[in-house]
Amino acid sequence: MIYAFRTLVGQEKNVARLLARNVKNSELEVNSILVPDTLRGYILVETSSKIDMQDPALKVPNLRGSVEGEISFEEIKGFLNPEPIIASVKKGSIVELISGPFKGEKAKVVRIDESKEEVVLELIEAAIPIPVTVKGDQIRLIQKEAD
Amino acid sequence: MVTKACTKCKRLMESERCAICNTSSSKNWSGFLIIIDPEKSGIAKELNIGIPGEYALRVR
Repeated sequence: MIYAFRTLVGQEKNVARLLARNVKNSELEVNSILVPDTLRGYILVETSSKIDMQDPALKVPNLRGSVEGEISFEEIKGFLNPEPIIASVKKGSIVELISGPFKGEKAKVVRIDESKEEVVLELIEAAIPIPVTVKGDQIRLIQKEAD
Repeated sequence: MVTKACTKCKRLMESERCAICNTSSSKNWSGFLIIIDPEKSGIAKELNIGIPGEYALRVR
């Protein structure tokens, strides 16, 4: 059985570590705790038995309760093998920069370096096109294909 | 100390080399997984993890 627990955003790893330490000394049958990067504010807890939120082992700071219902194993498979963002980006794609000095700017992909996970972009609104190299996690895909 | 992940078994550690598979570790990792009981865990079976501990989901 897999349950989703709500946590304070940014504290997912700390909550998972504390929870893991608490359940080792308790009767709760927690088998693993998954913290996917793409799921902010939530952790996924795999158990062998039904979980009681009143259990003292689940009294962890920054843990904000559980989401009702179970999650199927098929649903979490996508989190286990995270695909790099770069895999979905093509030459000519339109992306938005989500961090760094050009945050919020839209840009066109000129070149992709898959081994370094870097992309070379050209800012759309710039008067003179200057190539900018950024890491793959600093961009968000807006439009897959160029017009 | 910086937490690093083994490039082979994805186990998280603070040392330069993995104590289990003796391969180098990387600072560039993402995703976080704690395996408590690998025998009963479906996630551990899916990822072929047999030793309890902390793991990364992706290591570059």
